[in-house]
Amino acid sequence: MNKKITLTDEHIQQLYKFTHQHYVEHFDVQTELVDHLANDIEQIWKEQPKLSFEQARDISFKKFGVFGFMDMYEARKGALNKKYFKILMKYAKDWFRLPKIFLTISLFLFFYYGLKSVYFDYFYFSSFTILLVFGIIKGTLLIRKIKKKQLVTKRKWLLDDIIYKGTFVGGLMLFVNINNIVSLGDLDASNKYFSLFFAIIFTFLCIWEHLTLNVLPAKSEELLEKQYPEYKLV
Amino acid sequence: MGNQKLYKGSLQTIILKLLEQNDKMYGYEITQKVKELTKGELKITEGALYPALHKLEADGLLDVEVAKVDNRLRKYYKLTENGTKETVSRLAEMEDFLRTMQTLVNPKFSLE
Repeated sequence: MNKKITLTDEHIQQLYKFTHQHYVEHFDVQTELVDHLANDIEQIWKEQPKLSFEQARDISFKKFGVFGFMDMYEARKGALNKKYFKILMKYAKDWFRLPKIFLTISLFLFFYYGLKSVYFDYFYFSSFTILLVFGIIKGTLLIRKIKKKQLVTKRKWLLDDIIYKGTFVGGLMLFVNINNIVSLGDLDASNKYFSLFFAIIFTFLCIWEHLTLNVLPAKSEELLEKQYPEYKLV
Repeated sequence: MGNQKLYKGSLQTIILKLLEQNDKMYGYEITQKVKELTKGELKITEGALYPALHKLEADGLLDVEVAKVDNRLRKYYKLTENGTKETVSRLAEMEDFLRTMQTLVNPKFSLE
């Protein structure tokens, strides 16, 4: 039986579907897996030419272990989260250098004196609420935007998802934790560090929300092109 | 097949060494090359290879290139400048480790 050694376009498409069925949705991760499976299937066919495409594919898939593609997927996600954090830190550093440091200091002083004023409780509550509500609204809009983009392009990129969605859950957790610190840490207005502590927290939150919800999503195309050499190829 | 656990901690160094010698390689090629060089003694599993590659990439030691080969896209890994420096230091560490192990496992006795 003369079996084709190179996989057809149809086989490649089937492999993309196969990775999707095994919970890998992102095109960048799928692409690396598809090429690996395709190479292995071609090798298996050289040794056992009578096997069908599906049989050879299943033999290859088993080599990924009991968790299938999950180990690889999680590792990729971890690596890209790390990359995202590095990018975030790069932009965050600007806020502690000239000229933006003046803005950071102004923000800090605004919160510090607001929290030291007689209306500190209203000030604390309004600052917290404004930052939380802005985060939820902007986060929801970003999720909608990325879903729309994925629907139009019919492709999902892992870094894109991290940029648009990754910070949403993380951000909400941050707010919950701030509340926990307040209730557990006995931090009330009588504490002399109250204004200082929350002025720092609110300043960081402002910068963090601005970067994760405005700056990085606006630069997502540029970041994706840099991360994925294949982004413009497909 | 030897004890794979003994090789586990050296996977990143093996990858770096291969890339130092081969300019750029793709995942499957790395598994096959290791199998060929060790005559089947060491088989890098898919579940270990890609996490290691992705970690090295995230650490800035590897760079990626994508090319269309046949009817599919292929992702190649190559050393960055930092990766080349790191390979030298990791290989030196590995040689030290091998020397230490050699002393422990097969000590040379002397009459002095």
